[in-house]
Amino acid sequence: MPRTAKISIKSLYKIFGPTPEAALEYVKQGMGKTELLEAQNHVLALQDINVDINDGEITVIMGLSGSGKSTLIRHLNRLIEPTAGEIHFGDEDILSYNEAELRTLRRERMSMVFQKFALLPHRTVLENAGMALDVRGFKTRDFEDEAKKWLGRVGLEGNENLFPHQLSGGMQQRVGIARALVSNAPVMLMDEAFSALDPLIRSDMQDLLLELQGELRKTIVFITHDLDESLKLADHLVILKDGVVIQQGDPQNILLNPNDPYIIDFISDINRARVLRVRSVMVEPTSDDVSYAGDLLETDNLETVLSKSDGDVSLVYQVIRNDEQVGELHMKDLTRALVPVPASEERNNYSN
Amino acid sequence: MATYDFIFSSLGLEEWCSSSHSDAPMSMAALLAKAKGGEVEQSLWDLPFPSMDALNESCAAFPQSRELTKGLEQGFLAIKDSLSVVLDPITQPLSWALDGTLYTMVTTPWWIVIPVLLALVFFVTKSWKHVFFVAISFIGLAFIDYYVYAMQTLAIIFVCAFLCVLLGIPIGIGMARSDLMQRLTIPVLDMLQTLPPFVYLIPLIFLFSVTESKLYGIAIILYAIVPVIRLTNLGIRLVDEDVIEAADAFGMTPRQKLFKVQIPLALPNIMAGVNQTIMMSLAMVVIASLVSAPGLGVLVLRGIRSLELGVGLVSGLGIVILAVILDRVTKASLARINATQKQ
Repeated sequence: MPRTAKISIKSLYKIFGPTPEAALEYVKQGMGKTELLEAQNHVLALQDINVDINDGEITVIMGLSGSGKSTLIRHLNRLIEPTAGEIHFGDEDILSYNEAELRTLRRERMSMVFQKFALLPHRTVLENAGMALDVRGFKTRDFEDEAKKWLGRVGLEGNENLFPHQLSGGMQQRVGIARALVSNAPVMLMDEAFSALDPLIRSDMQDLLLELQGELRKTIVFITHDLDESLKLADHLVILKDGVVIQQGDPQNILLNPNDPYIIDFISDINRARVLRVRSVMVEPTSDDVSYAGDLLETDNLETVLSKSDGDVSLVYQVIRNDEQVGELHMKDLTRALVPVPASEERNNYSN
Repeated sequence: MATYDFIFSSLGLEEWCSSSHSDAPMSMAALLAKAKGGEVEQSLWDLPFPSMDALNESCAAFPQSRELTKGLEQGFLAIKDSLSVVLDPITQPLSWALDGTLYTMVTTPWWIVIPVLLALVFFVTKSWKHVFFVAISFIGLAFIDYYVYAMQTLAIIFVCAFLCVLLGIPIGIGMARSDLMQRLTIPVLDMLQTLPPFVYLIPLIFLFSVTESKLYGIAIILYAIVPVIRLTNLGIRLVDEDVIEAADAFGMTPRQKLFKVQIPLALPNIMAGVNQTIMMSLAMVVIASLVSAPGLGVLVLRGIRSLELGVGLVSGLGIVILAVILDRVTKASLARINATQKQ
């Protein structure tokens, strides 16, 4: 599938403080975040961000709290105005929009899901789900069918007339997702959408999102501080630290070739076998006379392969996509890929 | 020679001092001193504060302090007529509303008024317990022949509290939307809240005739409007920021945000303000009986003025009963709103 950028962010800066423009000059001359805070009393939230968000993909922006990820996502629908930089939606410049154009963008082309759900407590689940259409001037009876369809799709049929406080957290966030889907916007912004949920429900919601995405092919920007979550969801992973993008690209690739000690720290804890997929370790088919122990899909994760091979490192598998061979997998390569990247020295010192 | 002569002589103002006399009437102390005659040697112990009066003794042209109050009074009287030209027509509808409601509630037969009020109580509380309590209270008041007074008090409260809400909620909304407006309004609200209620009766008596009902209407509204303004402002400012952000993210106009999100979510606070406003109108309606507001307050006043202990106590009890009714009924409707608004 060709990748086309739906939204592109170019050299975006955001500085919080009384005179951000003046502070921007210092930043461009190379002043760092801490110095800027001490000397100028301005907070450098985002520094020179360049990210392309591809059409029909899930772009995950990952970083710890304070890394500027929530600030970044709010620039996309201009809930926060940038200090400098460009944001293009297709071939339009979002920053040149006037109030009415911005409202149309928010109503029809970008929907948003929030960490704390942000449902209207005085409206029923049905009315909440239809909020985007209600804002556009439709009456409840006009959007009832549409809202019911999506509420059913996220597993909430029969709860239409309850109030949000009568639902559990997971169910409230399902309403939040249904609300974003009812707006029928091509872009969905998800700000730590699953962070407030407990782990099991979170995993369910991730599956739900992937299932919906398989069908709807929306452009999704997903913010999270959880590496497992980002590896599970991401087509494109952007890692933010202190307002700077330190690495972005295919998540498998980041996992195999981390370019920063910060990322190495992050990935040293995860279960590599579950995250890495066959396509990341397979090689070109070498010769025809190899006897394959079996077939694998390129999207299978290594954990599946391990249990299939019963730990035998001498085997070679054939990798197929759409019934055609695209490569082969040597169990030796697989074992090598599973060797953990050591956490950096600093981190080891902390834990001692 | 008086104590502070040296100030004026050192400034070279003797000529100005002797050029004119302060035309304030002579104070008692000055009269006594004049009668005694002669100079008395002053010790440091008796050093007077350099007040207007003390300076006036040294310099006759310097104004006495009583000229300040006199000047204020004259100034007020001077603008009074032109102020009345503006204020009279604006406030006239208040007189009509008060007189009309008083007339309607008192002349309509009791067997219509009481059931209508009970129906109203049921409509706002949806609770038979409250209807029963209110019915008992009204029957009790009517049985001891306080029905007309109680109805007059209620009529005044209905009109004044309604106007407070009508004016107060938009002011509160304005304050919530503009920090400048909040900064300008809060000192006025603070003043209205701390000024003893008798004090605003004074200029009102000069501005309007005591026979007009708008006189006490304005006094009650000024006193009771503060909580509904404050709590509307507070309620809207306290609306969850996440929800406001969601409203923005889905492209609501400021107007949609106000009516679909902010006001509904601020409603519990606004209703708490309305409850306070009603209770404060009741407090003021008693004081306003000093300026001819009819109702139970008149009886309390009679109790004080002619020492009719029984009348004073029973009418005081009647006010308490009305207060309890109004409080319970508004709180019950507030609880009904809260029930649908849990976060």
